[in-house]
Amino acid sequence: MSENLLEVKDLVVSYGSIEAIKGISFDVKKGEIVSILGANGAGKTTTLRTLSGLLKSKSGQIIYEGTDITKVPAHKIVAMGISQSPEGRQVFGTLTVEENIRLGAYTKKRADKETQEWIYELFPRLLERRKQLAGTLSGGEQQMLAISRALMAQPQLLLLDEPSLGIAPILVNMIFQAINKIASTGVTVLLVEQNAKAALKLADRGYVLDVGHVTIKGNAKDLLNDPKVQEAYLGKKG
Amino acid sequence: MKKTTIAYIVFFAVMALIPFVSNNLWITIATTFCIFSVVALSVDIVLGRAGMFDMGHAVFFGLGAYATAIMNVHFEMNILMAIQVAILLPAIVAIVISSPIVHLRGDYLLVATVGFNIVFVQMLRNNFLGLTGGDDGIFGVDAEALGLYLDDPMIVYFMAFTLLLLTLLVIRNLEKSKAGRALHYVQEDPIASESIGINTRFYRVFSFSLGAAIAGLAGFIFTIQYTAVSPSAFDFMTSVMFFAIVLVGGKASIPGILAGTFIMFVLPEVFKGFETYRYFVFGIAMIVSMVLRPQGIFPAKYGKLPKYVTEDK
Repeated sequence: MSENLLEVKDLVVSYGSIEAIKGISFDVKKGEIVSILGANGAGKTTTLRTLSGLLKSKSGQIIYEGTDITKVPAHKIVAMGISQSPEGRQVFGTLTVEENIRLGAYTKKRADKETQEWIYELFPRLLERRKQLAGTLSGGEQQMLAISRALMAQPQLLLLDEPSLGIAPILVNMIFQAINKIASTGVTVLLVEQNAKAALKLADRGYVLDVGHVTIKGNAKDLLNDPKVQEAYLGKKG
Repeated sequence: MKKTTIAYIVFFAVMALIPFVSNNLWITIATTFCIFSVVALSVDIVLGRAGMFDMGHAVFFGLGAYATAIMNVHFEMNILMAIQVAILLPAIVAIVISSPIVHLRGDYLLVATVGFNIVFVQMLRNNFLGLTGGDDGIFGVDAEALGLYLDDPMIVYFMAFTLLLLTLLVIRNLEKSKAGRALHYVQEDPIASESIGINTRFYRVFSFSLGAAIAGLAGFIFTIQYTAVSPSAFDFMTSVMFFAIVLVGGKASIPGILAGTFIMFVLPEVFKGFETYRYFVFGIAMIVSMVLRPQGIFPAKYGKLPKYVTEDK
């Protein structure tokens, strides 16, 4: 449990002249669930998109399994074992649920049957709707689909961007339980969330981002009890 | 047999019979239809299938045409020797000019491609490197090859018709191939595509290059048909017209694009008095179709995933 799967050092990302990430460092160890918390505009999604290669960093390093992947383009990162479920659950609306899931194996020689069955066990609702067009699913179901698609690439590291965004609470629960099950099979999870409470209950460790800086970090349990975190993200006054 | 298969067979049969039942005027019109259909289909590869607003496709059509004329007139090469240049030059230029711009979003990309078209026509008009002949273009292309005069209307027609068949075959293969599907996914959702590991940049440049190669080959036959080239045939308005044909006909829809080309280029020939109104009528058609049928006259239906992805093993 001590080996670093992912290590980020002094990462800076900017949109034009505006720096969204102003030099953050964090690490994710093998088998962990790590959560990055923060309010809107804190730079959470930017961080994740830089990890998956969708955005280019200005400076800093991203090291995955000992190799520098800072400059590796997005399509190669998937094949290296990092897959992402993007924010806003981007699914292919004109394809069926099953086709979407199978497309997740794009970088593989073929779609792995066992992984697919396991996904349907995780999300029985997707099994019910597998012949349905993905565009007709509810928000929560689309989120399940986006996660499933990312899983089909059989990643070592799963990046989840705001899986609870705009989803009915009951589905949020189902999704977080599923994330727990995914992690229990040995997949390392990096979770970006606004829903701090749910995320910290699930995670081993957490980092709090505020306008491009890591302001607080620590064990998830400590963070849950941290007065600053409680005040800022959990709506409790100390 | 499926209805569409029958429709295609009838269409091809009619097209193959045209030169035997009509005079030279009609053969010329049919040739123009074939050539312009091919260009419109090549625009569709970029615009309809990859979803990139390419309003400068006349550049590639023109490159093929000018390359043919220049090789033949200035370097006195046999006309058939120009084929590979008419294909490769536009394809290479497409890679070079599209690489820096394919990441741009819709309207920005459109402006950039318009810019390329304007630059291209200015180069032609200013007798670039002393090769393009300025405003008048290049005359006197010698279309004699293999003991035949290729500019004979009948021969040109069959070359253009063959090219149309070839293009349809390429597109059919594209639709079934990994590349064609990748393009569809990239168009539908670039971020999701990248997330599953599709090299979006590669496929975008690829679509430009493939579209350019096909348009260039159409330019080759266009030059033979008129044994001359001039800049005005490849200006910005030509690009706009092909762009509109794809949108009005329906993105990624072969019957739609053929119908669009027919309305735009053949009908004005049939009703001569109507010719001056061509832009007027087509302009109205564009407005009406965008309001009533934004997906085009014959919207395309996308197929399922390729077998190798869905096969259970």
